[in-house]
Amino acid sequence: MNISYNQLKNYISPLPQVDELCEILTSLGLEVGGYETYESIKGGLQGLVIGEVLTCQKHPDADKLSVTTVNIGTTILPIVCGAPNVAKGQKVVVATVGTTLYSGETSFQIKKSKIRGEVSEGMICAEDEIGIGTSHDGIIVLPDETQIGTPAKDYYQAETDFVIEVDITANRTDAVSHFGVARDLYAYFKHRNTNISLTRPSVEKFAVTNTHLTIPVEIQTPEACKRYTGVTISGIEIKPSPEWLQNRLKAIGLNPINNIVDVTNFVMRELGQPLHAFDADQITDKKVVVKTVKSNTEFVTLDNISRKLTDKDLMICNNNEAMCIAGVFGGAKSGVSQVTKNIFLESAYFDPIYVRKTSKHHGLQTDASFRFERGADPEITIYALKRAALLIQEVAGGYISSEIQDIYPEKIAPNRVELKFAHADRLIGKKIGHDIIKSILQSLEIQIVSESETSLILDVPRYRADVTREADVIEDILRIYGYNNVETPQAVRSTLAYSPKPDEYKTRNRVSEFLSAQGFSEAMSNSLTKGSYYSEGETFKTDESVKILNPLSSDLDVLRQTLLFNALEAVKRNLNYKTSDIAFYEFGHTYQRKNSTNSLVSGYTEEHRLAVVLSGNRNPINWISHENPTNFFLLKSKIDRIFELLNFQASDFQVTESEKDVYNYGLTYTFKNTVFAEFGAISNTYLSKFDIGQEVFYADLNWSDILANYNKSIRYKDISNFPKVRRDLALLLDDSIKFSDIQRIAFKTEKSLLREVSVFDVFRDKKLGENKKSYAVSFILQDDDKTLTDKQIDKIMSKLTTNFKAELNADLR
Amino acid sequence: MLNKTKTHIEEVARFHSDKADEIEAFRIKYLSKKGGIVTDLFAAFKDVPAEDKKEFGQVLNQLKDAVSAKIEELKANLKSGDTKPEGLDMTLPADGAFMGSRHPVSLVMNEISEIFTRLGYTISEGPEIEDDWHVFSALNFPPEHPARDMQDTFFIERNPEILLRTHTSSVQVRVMDGAKPPIRTISPGRVFRNEAISARAHCIFHQLEGLYIDENVSFADLKQTLLYFAEEFFGKGTQIRLRPSFFPFTEPSAEMDVSCTLCGGKGCNVCKHSGWLEVLGCGMVDPNVLQNCGIDSEKYTGFAFGLGMERLAMLKYGVHDLRLFFENDLRFLRQFR
Repeated sequence: MNISYNQLKNYISPLPQVDELCEILTSLGLEVGGYETYESIKGGLQGLVIGEVLTCQKHPDADKLSVTTVNIGTTILPIVCGAPNVAKGQKVVVATVGTTLYSGETSFQIKKSKIRGEVSEGMICAEDEIGIGTSHDGIIVLPDETQIGTPAKDYYQAETDFVIEVDITANRTDAVSHFGVARDLYAYFKHRNTNISLTRPSVEKFAVTNTHLTIPVEIQTPEACKRYTGVTISGIEIKPSPEWLQNRLKAIGLNPINNIVDVTNFVMRELGQPLHAFDADQITDKKVVVKTVKSNTEFVTLDNISRKLTDKDLMICNNNEAMCIAGVFGGAKSGVSQVTKNIFLESAYFDPIYVRKTSKHHGLQTDASFRFERGADPEITIYALKRAALLIQEVAGGYISSEIQDIYPEKIAPNRVELKFAHADRLIGKKIGHDIIKSILQSLEIQIVSESETSLILDVPRYRADVTREADVIEDILRIYGYNNVETPQAVRSTLAYSPKPDEYKTRNRVSEFLSAQGFSEAMSNSLTKGSYYSEGETFKTDESVKILNPLSSDLDVLRQTLLFNALEAVKRNLNYKTSDIAFYEFGHTYQRKNSTNSLVSGYTEEHRLAVVLSGNRNPINWISHENPTNFFLLKSKIDRIFELLNFQASDFQVTESEKDVYNYGLTYTFKNTVFAEFGAISNTYLSKFDIGQEVFYADLNWSDILANYNKSIRYKDISNFPKVRRDLALLLDDSIKFSDIQRIAFKTEKSLLREVSVFDVFRDKKLGENKKSYAVSFILQDDDKTLTDKQIDKIMSKLTTNFKAELNADLR
Repeated sequence: MLNKTKTHIEEVARFHSDKADEIEAFRIKYLSKKGGIVTDLFAAFKDVPAEDKKEFGQVLNQLKDAVSAKIEELKANLKSGDTKPEGLDMTLPADGAFMGSRHPVSLVMNEISEIFTRLGYTISEGPEIEDDWHVFSALNFPPEHPARDMQDTFFIERNPEILLRTHTSSVQVRVMDGAKPPIRTISPGRVFRNEAISARAHCIFHQLEGLYIDENVSFADLKQTLLYFAEEFFGKGTQIRLRPSFFPFTEPSAEMDVSCTLCGGKGCNVCKHSGWLEVLGCGMVDPNVLQNCGIDSEKYTGFAFGLGMERLAMLKYGVHDLRLFFENDLRFLRQFR
């Protein structure tokens, strides 16, 4: 909302300088976005002065120029003038040397010069040259009685104003007017003991001339129209508003229309009360009825658009038809026009909810609906009406031709609130003092109905629609007292609060730090993604996508079911930017439309997941590390380390090959029937969708379930004093045999003394035979209680060899 | 035996090696407690005839000393005998490895979480798909509040309303629900707004909201907590300014500015020449919210605050385009080490 500094001066004085004022407004919660200088005439007519032409002769060297001398009061200037109408004895407007004149966006400065040999120290101006009109027919000739030396800005009443942009929060309807802002400032200064006065424009002169044009009012829907006040003015003349009124409106960004509409707009911006003027001659049968009409009734609004009404739209009607959408928008037919002679002026209080619904339904946001739907002041209708009527008489003539019609079926009482001093002290954290509290309340026009040692009973005026409870009153006290005047205590108040175990946030951070230390970058991607990603392939189900009812676009129309597509998008983006060595991870939510045990909102499953992505080379290539592409086992190593970090044992998992079409090849780690991780090389089907031409290794960890099973308790195990023994076997195997088979059989064969099984060489050669391979396997044996004897060891190794042969058909090489 | 011992002394004198394992073998050969030559000779000493004992003893001691001296000498030589690899250029670049990084939003979130956990706050999280109650109704949003419009919020269902949370205050509702104060928690997380993606707006961003409810929690406490936060996060001496504002879930409500970290309050482009940067919204928890969550608002008071992570990250790291946070360009991510 724009506030005019000059207009504010009419209500509150003294008013501080504009910069200080802006600071104060912001501290009151009326946040100032900034302010601009407004000039009714560009440049403010600075440097222009009224002068008299003393002499005027033809220029000796130019036919169209005259050489004049002009008395500007302080001095006599020689001026060369090109206007045909210049003559001795005229009163003219002179731009003195140094003056800047504006023409649209361009400007130029008057300089002392010689024009064809004749000295010129100024310029005699035409209307368009100084921005007061469009005429360029010749210089302005002012009436003879005009005083020489008068600054032109005084003569033309050029106005310089500051327009302050105030962001009013949704609760403060009381402050969406100049007077409302002044009222808050008054409380501010009053509390600070500044000698300040708040002036309401007087309406004492309001007088009914006759009652020839009485238009009675009937309210048929009192729940929607709580109060309706009106008066008629006859014999008005529609014309443009006077300069002062136009300037006021223009300054705050409103276009002047005609004197009647301008007055209603002015009073709304002055007092906050929306008004509406009807052409009284369009009110058939001279009666106003406030009611709803039948659904689908056609109604043409002021903008000449025909709208279909609903039976919830409150309408101002005459006996035949609707004339205006109450509190929202006027009708084309009943509005004030160039030929209007008599008007009926409305000042009402409409129910916020009715206005809001209508305004929303028709998509009509007007200055009036804005105020009504936030809650206007039911007590101001008569005052605002009188103020407007007086202004109309001033700018349009006419007579008040009826008594004020005021239909107010049920008086709206002030909000009664009890304030306990102890509650104020407790909430603020500072004892402000009863006297100060009372004085602040009074400065806010909040009435103290009764008081006791411990509390106050208050009546809050209705214009403070936001103050209905004790907490609201305390906020207002604090607002005027000053948020920044509450000291901060030295000692911190604290209470014990117990954190959840396991600490999810910390654990996630620990894994993040681990991955980042391993060269991975942490990524974050949009949870909103393309629904079409889920319509192909076997892994994801389209009907499990959580769809957005109002998506930004079809590229962002569902919530992701997996982090995979975000990851592939990121890989592609980096490849486009020529970053081909890629290592990143993302912790994020995935979402599915299905119920599960951890659904917090019924019907939806939201999971934490961790994605780890590798592609390209694992290190930057240099003299010591040559090309070394990332591979499945590098990713596997990271995943295994994460699980080690979280205290899971390799033996906790069931390891199987992934069957998802996402992977060309991949593994699944299952913990007690729950898939914890799935990882591998992304299949070409998926890579080609993203036009990715290099291998991508991707891991998907089910973080929610991992965390649910995570129990970080470290138990120290005594270190054995007896040596470990290593024995190796080179096993010749069929290609189909897996290391995990060897491992499984080994641990089954020797349950107590076998500690580790590992592979230190994998060898494949035709010499070994068709579909044969050789694994060089190492076995670590240890007894915690004694040194193993050769005999024991040989026995174990022989048992292993026998079982490998029996179960895997493995020969020794 | 005497002669044999003398032969050993000569042998020891002749021994030379510059290899640690050979020297160790030499030591074991002579001095090992099990079968070492010197050890065995000493063991045999008792069988030497008494008249020879004196001379043999002297020679034997000579041998023992010679062995010890030899070992010491050779080990000393070993230490000084380093040889530098030929043609070594140590200015060659090291074995390369990519530096990993944390996401700037995580960095900011972690820094702020640490500040508040130091003050005794716990961390709570909740779902991003939420219902109307947790996001709006419990938080005292009136039915017609614009945030409930399709224009502002992403909806998944209407009637009953399921939506993407627009703030992490919904987590606070879950924490408060049925809990008995004191409650002291922060909730960091992702939130959604129906805004087109541009340099200055995004449909996702991250918030961290704080909540403290107990008997006698006051506005002054709120100010103190926020001042501490501001000084910890923006640097010692940072000033704060509170402005009255309006949020449905707090009363009184305020917005907090901090003195501009770039110009120190003198005015610059970042603070739009005001000297202040708007960083968070806060206030005293509205009694309606406490009641909605089953907390006695006569007995308890509390404060709440909310911070935007991307905004703070932009201020802290000088990032000018919001989109960069979620595009996962490694040239961007790798800068946040």
